[in-house]
Amino acid sequence: MKRAVFYLMIACVVLWSAGPLLWQFATSLKPDAELTRLPPILPPEPTLDHYRALFTDTTFLRIIANSAIVSSCSTALSLAIGALAAFGLAELNVSAKRFVLLFVLSASMFPPIATVSPLYLIIRGLGLRDTWWALIVTYTSFSLPLSVWIMTNFFRQIPDELYRAARVDGCGPFQAFIRIMLPLAAPGVVTTAILVFIFSWNEFLFALTFTATAKSRTIPVAIALFPGLHEIPWGDIAAASVVVTIPLIILVFAFQRLIIEGLTAGAVKG
Amino acid sequence: MISIFLCGLGCTSDREQKGASGTTIVFKHGKIAGNPKPIRDLLDRFERENPGITVKDETLPASTDEQHQFYAINLDSQSTDFDVLSLDVIWVPEFARAGWLRDVTRVMTEGEQNAFFPGPVQAVTQDGRLFAVPWYIDAGLLYYRTDLLKKYNRSVPKTWQELVNIAQEITERERNLYGFIWQGKQYEGLVCNVLEFIWSNGGGVLENSRPVIASRPNIEALQFMRDLIVKWRITPPLVLTAIEEPTRHIFGSGRALFMRNWPYAWSVFSREDSAVRGKVGVAQLPSFPGHVSAPTLGGWQLGVNRFSLHPEEAEKLIRFLTSLSAQKTLALTVGYKPTRKALYKDPDLLREQPFVGSLYSIFMTARPRPVTPYYMMITQVLQPEFSAAIAGIKTPEAALGSAQKQVERILGEEL
Amino acid sequence: MMERENGNRFVMPAVVMLSLVTIYPLLSVLYLSLHRRLPIFDVSKFTRLDNYRFLLTDDRFWNALRNTVYFAATSVTLELLFGLGIALLLNRSFRLKGVVTALVLIPWAVPTVVSARMWEWMYNTDFGILNYLLGMKINWLGSPFWAMNAAVFMDVWKTMPFVVILLLAGLKMIPREIYQAARIDGAGAWPIFMKITLPLLMPVILVVLILRTLDALRIFDAVYVLTGGGPANTTETLSIYAYKVLFQTLQFGYGSTLSVVIFLCIGSLSILYLRLLRAEGSR
Repeated sequence: MKRAVFYLMIACVVLWSAGPLLWQFATSLKPDAELTRLPPILPPEPTLDHYRALFTDTTFLRIIANSAIVSSCSTALSLAIGALAAFGLAELNVSAKRFVLLFVLSASMFPPIATVSPLYLIIRGLGLRDTWWALIVTYTSFSLPLSVWIMTNFFRQIPDELYRAARVDGCGPFQAFIRIMLPLAAPGVVTTAILVFIFSWNEFLFALTFTATAKSRTIPVAIALFPGLHEIPWGDIAAASVVVTIPLIILVFAFQRLIIEGLTAGAVKG
Repeated sequence: MISIFLCGLGCTSDREQKGASGTTIVFKHGKIAGNPKPIRDLLDRFERENPGITVKDETLPASTDEQHQFYAINLDSQSTDFDVLSLDVIWVPEFARAGWLRDVTRVMTEGEQNAFFPGPVQAVTQDGRLFAVPWYIDAGLLYYRTDLLKKYNRSVPKTWQELVNIAQEITERERNLYGFIWQGKQYEGLVCNVLEFIWSNGGGVLENSRPVIASRPNIEALQFMRDLIVKWRITPPLVLTAIEEPTRHIFGSGRALFMRNWPYAWSVFSREDSAVRGKVGVAQLPSFPGHVSAPTLGGWQLGVNRFSLHPEEAEKLIRFLTSLSAQKTLALTVGYKPTRKALYKDPDLLREQPFVGSLYSIFMTARPRPVTPYYMMITQVLQPEFSAAIAGIKTPEAALGSAQKQVERILGEEL
Repeated sequence: MMERENGNRFVMPAVVMLSLVTIYPLLSVLYLSLHRRLPIFDVSKFTRLDNYRFLLTDDRFWNALRNTVYFAATSVTLELLFGLGIALLLNRSFRLKGVVTALVLIPWAVPTVVSARMWEWMYNTDFGILNYLLGMKINWLGSPFWAMNAAVFMDVWKTMPFVVILLLAGLKMIPREIYQAARIDGAGAWPIFMKITLPLLMPVILVVLILRTLDALRIFDAVYVLTGGGPANTTETLSIYAYKVLFQTLQFGYGSTLSVVIFLCIGSLSILYLRLLRAEGSR
């Protein structure tokens, strides 16, 4: 009985989370005329027209590539810089630690609309308009509060003794960081990576302002370009949102072992 | 290895060739509805007719807010990244006053202004000088169901009250039908809708540059709109969330008798798979007794960035894109309604799109929103107040009174 | 007892990177906030604290502040409660756990641009699936009462995975031995949760709270697409108001003032949270 209730709750959670996207998927299969008819929920004659429209326009593939590159680089950089800082803040002595934490957080206190204009002027001044770098640097910086705060918290939870033991064994701080802290905090690190990746993948305001053509344009901007002045092509947007969300889900699925299992059990025993 | 090297060589010489031959100008515009190919073909034609000029076209999202934001950031910092830009009709006074647009009076020849509709020309003129050239036009229309009017033997309403009566009568007898739908979400479109009622009652926003917002005609008109929802119940409360597309969907699936919308909806209704194909008519918006119909003017104009490094080439492009032949091409391929009056008698266009002919008189009476650099500030005051009155949160008197005070303050501030 | 080494060099790259994106914008915005800057009229005047004085009497600002606080408080509370529940559910081992975890993340993975439009469509009075399933005709986005709550609901849907995934990671950091020991001692499920799980999870919860609150207070895109701030400014948040002032009316001075005030409000709240976090950490 308890088992049944449990699975029912799981089912509810999945329906709640995935339901709207399933509905998007159903919409993406409906021909234009059917888009607004409800019933039926599922199209009687599904069509792949919207997906065709997406991919015959080869720039969409380029845009997915842009997003992939920008997001991957931003995530890698943000993790690297963030993990280092988190390690320092969690384990070592840092001058004005509280101030540093607050300073790191301050990047998340600004309404992005206020920062977009000054930053755009810098980007333009440096000739980085319509390049990947403009976005990579921006996303890395703005995801640092996320990276640093989350990882600091997870590093703190690792018992001090483990770090001390490693140092006593002759490791330098950096080595201890790589060999002991990082693996033990794997759930936190992987979670941070996923969250930063998704942040970069879906960020809109800076992407809109800093990019000008398909050369560096990312997915959210491309989707914003679907609607015409008054028309909103729901079918195409639904198809795009399905195409764009699936890779993220696959990514999460690929890494979920590390989040769910973690390596805590083994390490603590050892 | 060798192939990469050769390719590199090839690429450089390509670049050199282009660089040596002429200038590149950037045409920045909001996303074109439908297929972007016709525009590119047009630009290619321009390039052929003007050897030495290459046109790079860059798209911005169609959202007028996002474009406005982009231009504000760039023009304030005197960007030279683009040369020709497409402008919403309400921005021209603002950008012109800011000194962001080049004076393009000479793009039109002597008397050529008369070839264009008067509304758009008024909207792009400041102190007698032209700061943009009207590119395509939009105006509010009344869409109606020809089959239903015929069934109940009614003619197209000329006054708002007639519209109410007809709608009440027909919706009582028909199932699942809204009487009259329009755009009432809190955004610029709401101001367009409300002004159509206000103007057609003899009211207005500014008179001699002074606000007359809390006038009797305005209050009556706004009250009338509220009554459409609560008193006569021919308009559903959902209009408060509606922009163009949702209302188009409702009418397009046969669930409404009358709709106010822009001309774009017509082509959607004429499609093969449309539920209302062949049953839609278009007419001038009604008015209040003793006054004329006043559709709000929309549409986009082409301007030259004042900081552009290639102003002459930019002007050439504008001249080309607003020429008779380019406008005709755009009308036939993309459906943009021309700003040149002559095209409304053009046999080819009328044959392909007979609907266009009936738009002529409507476009002639299309009224621009207050042509003042303060307009963007004024509309930000009007939108929430109009919305409050229509939602029943404030009475029209209170809403318009508050708007009047706020606009007085804005206009009264010393610069 | 080994002394802790100095970790400044580890923190340096992050600090430098952040300075790039915070120092110049902050100074620039602060500078503008003390001016009356209307590029349209070529006005650029140093007006000291006039903008701030005006802000105190600006009804629209206070309305936006109220809306934002309501939005943030309701949204974050709901996210946290539901997120915790779901994280606890996912913490058990069951079949297809990996798939379910990945699916739970979907709302966070969908681009905001898309999810806002999606919800706008779902909330549609006539064609929306919500009214279809409920069999009613509620004017979700057009009624002053429902609009804000509809926005909150959408935000909870969107951001709950963020909470879930972080709390799940936090739960995974709690060594299993502690639970085993407690069960051997005969403790029931609820006391285990209250006395063991919750306290050990508290640091993560606080971090999640801080990050989510900061985001909720700055909410812009989703609500702007959904309602545009309407009807009648009942869903206008601080960021939406600042956006309209900055980029619609092009009042760069006052818009900057609003931005500074938003920053200060959020900043003070963060300092409060930090105190809580410190108190928590020292226990």
